[in-house]
Amino acid sequence: MKTLLKNALMAGALAAGTAFAAQAAMAQDSIYLPNLSYRTGPFASTGIPLMNGQRDYMMMLNERDGGVNGVKLGYDECETGYNTEKGVECYEKTKADAAITQPWSTGITLQVLPKTNVDKIPVLAPGYGFSPMADGKTFQWAFNPPASYWDGASMILKAISDGNLDNLEGKKIALLHLDHPYGKEPIPLFEAMAEKHGFTFLPIPVGLKEMQNQSAQWLQIRRERPDFVLMWGWGAMNAGAITEAAKTRYPMDQFIGIWWSSLDSDLKLVGEEGKGYRAISWNVPNSDSPVMQDIKKYVVDPGKSLINQGEGEFDWVFYQRGVMISMMLVEGIKAAQEEFDAKVPTPEQVRWGLENLNIDEAKLEELGMTGMLVPFKTSCADHTGHGGGWMLEWNGSKFEKVSDLITPDREAIAPLEAEKAKEYAEANAPWPVNDECKM
Amino acid sequence: MLYRTAGQFKTSYEADFALFPVKQDSILLAAVLVLAFVVFPLTANEFAFRALLIPVLIYALAALGLNILTGYAGQLSLGTGAFMGVGAYACYKLITIFPEMNLLVAIALSGFFSAAVGVAFGLPSLRIKGFYLAIATLAAQFFLVWLFEKWAWLYNYNASGAIQVPNIDMFGFTVAGPRAPAITQYYFVLIVVSIVTFFAINVTRGRIGRIWKSVRDMDIAAELVGINLMKAKLSAFFVSSYVVGVAGALFVFAWRGAAEPNLFDIPLSFRVLFIAIIGGLGSILGNFLGAILIVALPVVLGFLPDVFGVPISSSAVEHLNVMIIGALIVTFLIVEPHGLARFWAVIREKLIIWPFPH
Amino acid sequence: MEILYDILVKPFVDMVAAPDFFLQVVWEGLVSGVLYALIALGFVLIYKSSRIFNFAQGIMVVFAALTLVGLYEKGVPALLAVPLTLAVMYLLAMTIERVVLRPLVNQPDIILFMATIGITMFLIGFGEIIFGGENKVMITEQLMIPTGSYIFEPFGGFVSIEQKDLTAVVGAVVLVGVLLLFLNRSKMGRAIRALGDDHQAALSVGISLSTIWVLVWFIAGVIALATGIVWGARAGVSFALEVIAYKALPVLMLGGLESVLGAIVGGLAIGILEKLFEIYWGQPLLGGNTETWFAFVFALIVLLFRPQGLFGERIIERV
Repeated sequence: MKTLLKNALMAGALAAGTAFAAQAAMAQDSIYLPNLSYRTGPFASTGIPLMNGQRDYMMMLNERDGGVNGVKLGYDECETGYNTEKGVECYEKTKADAAITQPWSTGITLQVLPKTNVDKIPVLAPGYGFSPMADGKTFQWAFNPPASYWDGASMILKAISDGNLDNLEGKKIALLHLDHPYGKEPIPLFEAMAEKHGFTFLPIPVGLKEMQNQSAQWLQIRRERPDFVLMWGWGAMNAGAITEAAKTRYPMDQFIGIWWSSLDSDLKLVGEEGKGYRAISWNVPNSDSPVMQDIKKYVVDPGKSLINQGEGEFDWVFYQRGVMISMMLVEGIKAAQEEFDAKVPTPEQVRWGLENLNIDEAKLEELGMTGMLVPFKTSCADHTGHGGGWMLEWNGSKFEKVSDLITPDREAIAPLEAEKAKEYAEANAPWPVNDECKM
Repeated sequence: MLYRTAGQFKTSYEADFALFPVKQDSILLAAVLVLAFVVFPLTANEFAFRALLIPVLIYALAALGLNILTGYAGQLSLGTGAFMGVGAYACYKLITIFPEMNLLVAIALSGFFSAAVGVAFGLPSLRIKGFYLAIATLAAQFFLVWLFEKWAWLYNYNASGAIQVPNIDMFGFTVAGPRAPAITQYYFVLIVVSIVTFFAINVTRGRIGRIWKSVRDMDIAAELVGINLMKAKLSAFFVSSYVVGVAGALFVFAWRGAAEPNLFDIPLSFRVLFIAIIGGLGSILGNFLGAILIVALPVVLGFLPDVFGVPISSSAVEHLNVMIIGALIVTFLIVEPHGLARFWAVIREKLIIWPFPH
Repeated sequence: MEILYDILVKPFVDMVAAPDFFLQVVWEGLVSGVLYALIALGFVLIYKSSRIFNFAQGIMVVFAALTLVGLYEKGVPALLAVPLTLAVMYLLAMTIERVVLRPLVNQPDIILFMATIGITMFLIGFGEIIFGGENKVMITEQLMIPTGSYIFEPFGGFVSIEQKDLTAVVGAVVLVGVLLLFLNRSKMGRAIRALGDDHQAALSVGISLSTIWVLVWFIAGVIALATGIVWGARAGVSFALEVIAYKALPVLMLGGLESVLGAIVGGLAIGILEKLFEIYWGQPLLGGNTETWFAFVFALIVLLFRPQGLFGERIIERV
């Protein structure tokens, strides 16, 4: 045993020494963009395609254009496993050089949020995080374009009521959600809407340990017979829910998920039985678009991508959503470069860039992404953009777009956002507010 | 030579039973304290405070609490994470209800809540033993975490179900909340941990500590010589849960700044148990050594590939990290089942008789 | 009074009012119970023969299922992948015995328990490196497990019984039957039980400790594979499956650590009771999700009356 240990130690020291000698010099003209990724843990199945998409878009830009305006994109992952503790550690570790931080879990976002005011690093949380983050005056450093969870909830309600929420009167709507900050996020909005429009709202929590065994939750659905089941699911929970839905014979066309519940591999588990399941999404995959073809040419074909080609990951909603997320970040950096005439913009400048994003149809066409993302525009008062989304429907083998653009009912959401943002700022006093913003 | 104890004569019982009968021990301790109170704060950067120093101290304190129960009184518990949660939530509610309360007082009081819950879940220990008891403590673990999720009053009806620490001032310093500088939080934690450790050393080597040890070694025999088992076991649960609760309150208030219920789930319990066992059951020093190994090692390992320029993705590092920790635990158990504290004891023995082999 | 009515009367009224739903709840509970029982069985076998409380049983389930699916994805035919997976599980058992257990012979229980947690962590990291963290589809059809469902329509409602659940139940019964035969009739089986009864005596009559340990860990691996197949067929294969190991623990408490019968009865009882409690008490009165703790609290209460579990060996203490 002892000699074995000794040999192992020596081998380790030797390997480390060689590696040290071979250390490569870091490129000077690059911008450091850490991503608090999660390719491990119970949520890895949803994390991997997203991370791959983000990474591959940045790699494609580096290969095709040499980065943005001559600055290489230093994309770097710090693994959290969706664990809040690791996430905060990653944040602390990367913040010194970071131009941005992407916390990925709502739990990590909540912890990082107050620190960014002090550290002055923008948080980019596309389509997740805390919905009141849309209030850019209160949450100066946080961005969640192009739509928040409350937007998503509002869009789904609009879709199931044919545009008029009063049609839902007397109906029963169940929310199958992960029992975690992420899953609880839309509840205040649903409660407010239920009161206003006279439908019954029934939250059904799924514990982190029960994700793969939801028979109790689906028995409850069978007993309560809700008219619609909405899902805020994540990781292994989605697949479990869709299997159980098929088993309980719950009509798939009354079962609708948020955008994080539209992972192709989850639906592939049930295949034909999942036909008719819908999910709201702010992006639509299009593998023939110029941007995806460029990614294929520069990253996938030379074998530099980490995607699982056998599973067809390239065509997945999530992979291409990762591409969209990186695009938002890169556009923010570009805007900052132009405004401040800075080659490598500082975090403060990137913040300005993200605050002045204008992703319209023309921009999308220029980037070769026509129709792949909802158009949106941010401002100092609006850090979300509230672009809206489309309904995607599972046709047995892939997701298809089945609706026109649906936009959230901002008039109903905005007061609630303002109220919660104020509550947050008061609970965390003294909280700095952006008074320069006059919008 | 350096550690020669010859010539240090004790002329009274008090001297013989002093905390540090050997002069060199006290010198060493003084050196460690100087390091902790003066050298680290002067040299550490913010990352070192937040990712290494503060968590090591807090985890060591939690392990100390567990060690009182498992290492001294012999009652295996897998519910440490939940008891930390009780301390954290109690402190959060105290601060909410009495915003003017001094944080030190709030943390000291919140320990009593977890102590009470600990005693309640310790009651089965009077009838159940060994692994059955270990699984029984899991009932506390799962039930309490469920309660943290469901009892909205505990988290002030926040929509997200998470608690967030406000900025708290104490004697003119911000000690908790997002505005608190790392160095103040470090000193705050260090002071609390030092005080609790001092008491723990004295309790465990005093009368009650000996009672616990006799219960651990053979409870029936202890009962036969006149020890009240109920009192002994429940007092162990009380003291242990108190310390664990204080650690939990520090965990959230002086380090994390926010917490969601599943933070206190079973992985946290296991982590603390690892620290206690790798450090050495029935030892105070061991908790600190174990915490250094279990908490700091993964952080350091995470940096290695960067330092050496090895092109390896961060997820692979994480996988390797988990593997290495797993392998390390097994290796340590094989090489020295009594933990790191025993390692130190062996080294000290050698130093005392050095340069002679025996 | 209303509360008392809700607790004591209403649930039973609901059960009678919708008997088809009640039957469905019991069936769902039974299926979960079978799976809990299988995992608990893996624990019991190892505990009986070596006094090791094997926390790694849960990760072995994941590992076995992932190996099976991984081999299939590499192009190995499904029916060949099963024996190959078994070979991998045997290798795993041998490695664990050689590297971990042998050096730890005669250590206190808690040390061995911690070592199995170490093994768990090692296997999690190792498995994720080899298989990746994605959710995988269990190769149900390729293993010729039927996937349809039977619909019964008693009392004007319906009860749906999945064929794969039924297969799981039948498969588990067969597996347990074979296992009992093996333990009671074969020479190896008797050796395992002898080791469980008295280590020293068994050693002195020439039973080899290491052979038996490898064998027992291998059998636990076989059970893990069976559990992995049926549970994976229900909800896909991923590392999230690991948490089901916790569910086996209250089963062990209830049934007793050394009892094969206890594991089966305890598993079924807990599976059905926790489902009934969740549906009729937990969801209406407590906000749901009581399945996370019900089994533990229930087992704890039973244990207060019988400290060694329902079927455990009577604890005799000597001074």
